Amino acid sequence: MDLRIEDHPILSFPERKKVKFFWEGREVWGYEGEPVASALHAAGIKVLHKSLKLDHPRGFFCAIGNCSSCLVVIDGVPNVRACTAKLRAGMRVEMQRGAGPAPSDRE
Amino acid sequence: MRPSADAVVIGGGVVGAAIAYNLLKSGMKSVVLCEKSTFASGSTGRCGAGVREQWGAEHNIRLAKASIDMFEHLAEELGYDQDIEFKQKGYLILAHTEKEWDQFKKNVELQHRLGVNSMLLTPEEAKDIVPALNTEGMLGATYNSRDGHANPFHTTRAFLQAARRLGGDICFFTEVTAIELEAGKVKRVRTSRGDISSPVLVNAAGPWAAVVAKMVGVDLPVYTQRHQILVTEPVGWFLDPMVMSFSIGIYCQQTPHGSVVMGIGDPDEPKGYDTGHSWQFLREMASIVCRLLPVLRDVRVVRQWSGLYTMTPDAHPILGKVPGVDGYYQAVGFSGHGFMLAPVVGRLLSEMILGKQPFIDISGLDLGRFERGEYMVEPSVV
Ligand SMILES: Cc1cc2nc3c(=O)[nH]c(=O)nc-3n(C[C@H](O)[C@H](O)[C@H](O)COP(=O)(O)OP(=O)(O)OC[C@H]3O[C@@H](n4cnc5c(N)ncnc54)[C@H](O)[C@@H]3O)c2cc1C
Repeated sequence: MDLRIEDHPILSFPERKKVKFFWEGREVWGYEGEPVASALHAAGIKVLHKSLKLDHPRGFFCAIGNCSSCLVVIDGVPNVRACTAKLRAGMRVEMQRGAGPAPSDRE
Repeated sequence: MRPSADAVVIGGGVVGAAIAYNLLKSGMKSVVLCEKSTFASGSTGRCGAGVREQWGAEHNIRLAKASIDMFEHLAEELGYDQDIEFKQKGYLILAHTEKEWDQFKKNVELQHRLGVNSMLLTPEEAKDIVPALNTEGMLGATYNSRDGHANPFHTTRAFLQAARRLGGDICFFTEVTAIELEAGKVKRVRTSRGDISSPVLVNAAGPWAAVVAKMVGVDLPVYTQRHQILVTEPVGWFLDPMVMSFSIGIYCQQTPHGSVVMGIGDPDEPKGYDTGHSWQFLREMASIVCRLLPVLRDVRVVRQWSGLYTMTPDAHPILGKVPGVDGYYQAVGFSGHGFMLAPVVGRLLSEMILGKQPFIDISGLDLGRFERGEYMVEPSVV
């Protein structure tokens, strides 16, 4: 299922490069440089985060980097806002469970 | 608000709340608590909320030890329907200079004598407890597993709810503006919402303690000083104990919610009532904590704020009555550790007020000690 709008009466969409990345280990695709949340949403992936206390599903919400509803783990870094992170080829994106993994010494 | 009471407590911080609760629990019928703003709006709601027995002076050790005994069952005793988030994962206190390491050895000796199971650790042993710790330049550490921290809002609210349940009249947005004495006795308290006549008055006004004391003609040798603090976004569990250093002047703890709360003491901070916050603090705090706990490097700060310490000349609180003003009691000047002492101080003050023998001897913590020249020494403050 692809939720992208291809034709729009007002907006036009420039040609962009299609890249592969990973959601929870599964290969999906998106356009390079678009928000990670857009690529995930377009791929029908809506539950991005599980809430801190009650493990409730959380997803794309404010879309401007404010609300921390769409926090994901990207390449091991927790608390990344999927709505403002730009998509790169090969990114490993995971659903964040609660506060996510403990901060660790990555180089 | 009632027109008369058996006792009026000024201050809806954790200390005032604990005193009001203990008075009611011990059978006092009518207690009014006046808080000029809302509960925990003073130092309490801004504090680091650490609780430790690892002090360097006898009074502080004894009081903190008894307080921890009480914290362990506090939510239960108060019948609180939520969690006060008391987490007992210890305090790890780091030594980076010879001088503090020598002092820590003395502290631990004294702590052992008073029944505290603290221990001296090598840097490697400290790293076993906090794997994220950078031990470079560290000489050693002390650790005590009974120490910890709690949520200051929930703790205060738990005391206040229990006090209300026992019939206490807890009045927010009620400022005490004057106190009337009659023949050297407390007679009536004037507030922004009317007068209350009462033979007993308790000053638990935190940073404004000296203002309230003035109302009964008492001069307090205290001053207030801003301390800044911040909190990060919640992250996965990585930090069990509160990590602290006196020479670096830092404390840092991870709350059960996952956020990390940290502060530093600034020796150049001017005295006063400023509770603003600065970018300098943010920068300094970040650079110090990232040196000590490098894994915090990528963690975002979500909020910074500040609160006031109310300092006495010897970093010990001033507790009890004052000769010449009958019915006036004070629990003030906590010098940056009033949160942890509140449960025990609540009990001790109510015992004093009700004419019982306080269960811990605190006669040496009266205001008169400064005139007598009996200063305590507390080497272990941030
Ligand atoms: C940044 C920071 C970190 C800290 N960390 C720790 C820690 O780790 N561990 C620890 O134990 N302590 C810590 N403290 C110290 C601790 O916050 C205080 O010692 C403690 O909260 C004092 O409680 P209190 O009830 O006496 O004062 P407050 O909480 O200040 O309460 C006093 C109340 O009195 C009210 N009041 C004042 N005047 C009047 C009036 N005229 N009429 C009516 N109401 C009035 C005020 O509005 C206020 O709410 C820290 C403090 C700060 C600022």
